[in-house]
Amino acid sequence: MEIKKLLFVTRFDKLRFDALQSLMDLKKAALNHVVFLNVIEREKVAMRRGTGYEKGAEIKLREKANIRFIDWAETLFEQGMEVGVYIVVGSFAAQVIQAAEKETVDLIVLSPEKKGRFEQLYSGSDITEIVHRSATPVLVYKYLFRKGPLAENPFEKPLLATNWSSASRRAVDYLKSLKAVIQEVDIVHVASEKDLKEKSAMGIQKTRKENRKKLEALCDDLEDEGITAKPHVYIGETVPEIEKAARECRSSMIIAGSPGKRSWTNRWGTSISKGLAEQSIFPILLIPPAEG
Amino acid sequence: MSKKVLIVDDDPDVRMFNSTVVEENGYIPVEASNGEEALQIIEKEPPAIVLLDVLMPKQSGIRLYRILKTDKSLVDIPVIILSGVAKRTFLRSQKALTEFGDKPVPEPENYLEKPVEPDELAKEIKRFLG
Repeated sequence: MEIKKLLFVTRFDKLRFDALQSLMDLKKAALNHVVFLNVIEREKVAMRRGTGYEKGAEIKLREKANIRFIDWAETLFEQGMEVGVYIVVGSFAAQVIQAAEKETVDLIVLSPEKKGRFEQLYSGSDITEIVHRSATPVLVYKYLFRKGPLAENPFEKPLLATNWSSASRRAVDYLKSLKAVIQEVDIVHVASEKDLKEKSAMGIQKTRKENRKKLEALCDDLEDEGITAKPHVYIGETVPEIEKAARECRSSMIIAGSPGKRSWTNRWGTSISKGLAEQSIFPILLIPPAEG
Repeated sequence: MSKKVLIVDDDPDVRMFNSTVVEENGYIPVEASNGEEALQIIEKEPPAIVLLDVLMPKQSGIRLYRILKTDKSLVDIPVIILSGVAKRTFLRSQKALTEFGDKPVPEPENYLEKPVEPDELAKEIKRFLG
């Protein structure tokens, strides 16, 4: 579960080199290889009446991307990192998945959705598609402006949202492999309000106690690895409560398990991972369950 | 028999350009699109010279160069770097890897920054292969 190789997917607007540099703390864990990917979306070079396929436009876009990547790569090479690059034309989600598989990366880093809600309705969400079709954890990177204009280290103080699923358990293993870069982890479980409606005060407290006990066991597990961890129980709607917890804990990112490939039955479904990726102001690291 | 020139570059247009120059000067071009693929070719049948790009998927030219120059059986193959990455960066990167515990490596036989004119490339290849 170590992060040795990451795929940095950029369109150069929402995800810049400073974002990548903020992840360089991962070198303390195991990171030694970065692969850049720029997908030139088909509509930018597609066939048009009277002009056909715009080869000239493709060349221009490729070279523009290449110039940026050479500049970034020079900095990383000088730090002793291995760097690779892909500049491809095609569908965004498909190209990301393909590059991740070709390079067998340990983490995919990308920016939040570019598509508007209306566009997502007919063509679907790229992030949802990537998360559901790839076995690799996905970090949806968002800039936080707490200390200044530069991106901070997102792995410094993560918040792990757990629902006790196998993906959540895998997320804990993932955290352990990052102990060299993590200062402190807050672990949160959101119990659904619906489940508590019929219960007495005693019943509600009992639910809290049960979840708290499980969270403490997780914290002990992480503390045995040398990672300081704090448990938190929240009640309510999952996505807004996780967001609330991240704000209250002053978290640097949110980590959550994502549903496995087989659970993907409805691309318009409102899973927790989709909700977090789209709505949260925090960078979101989505961990799929182990394959097989 | 003509000597083989291994062209390592992920850009098919660059490979085609270099192959044409190599062929027109009487050598046999062999192509690889990344460092990993190139190493397999080199191990199978070492070429007379390697034209090596730096920034590529799978394995960069920085790593492949290091392998070539630290493997006793491959160290004598001349390597011309052909890249958009500056020579200064290439040398610093090799130094950085040395600092991380690898052995120091010699400088490449030549370093040409892209784009390269066909005559310049042909002249450099001939300098080593005759």
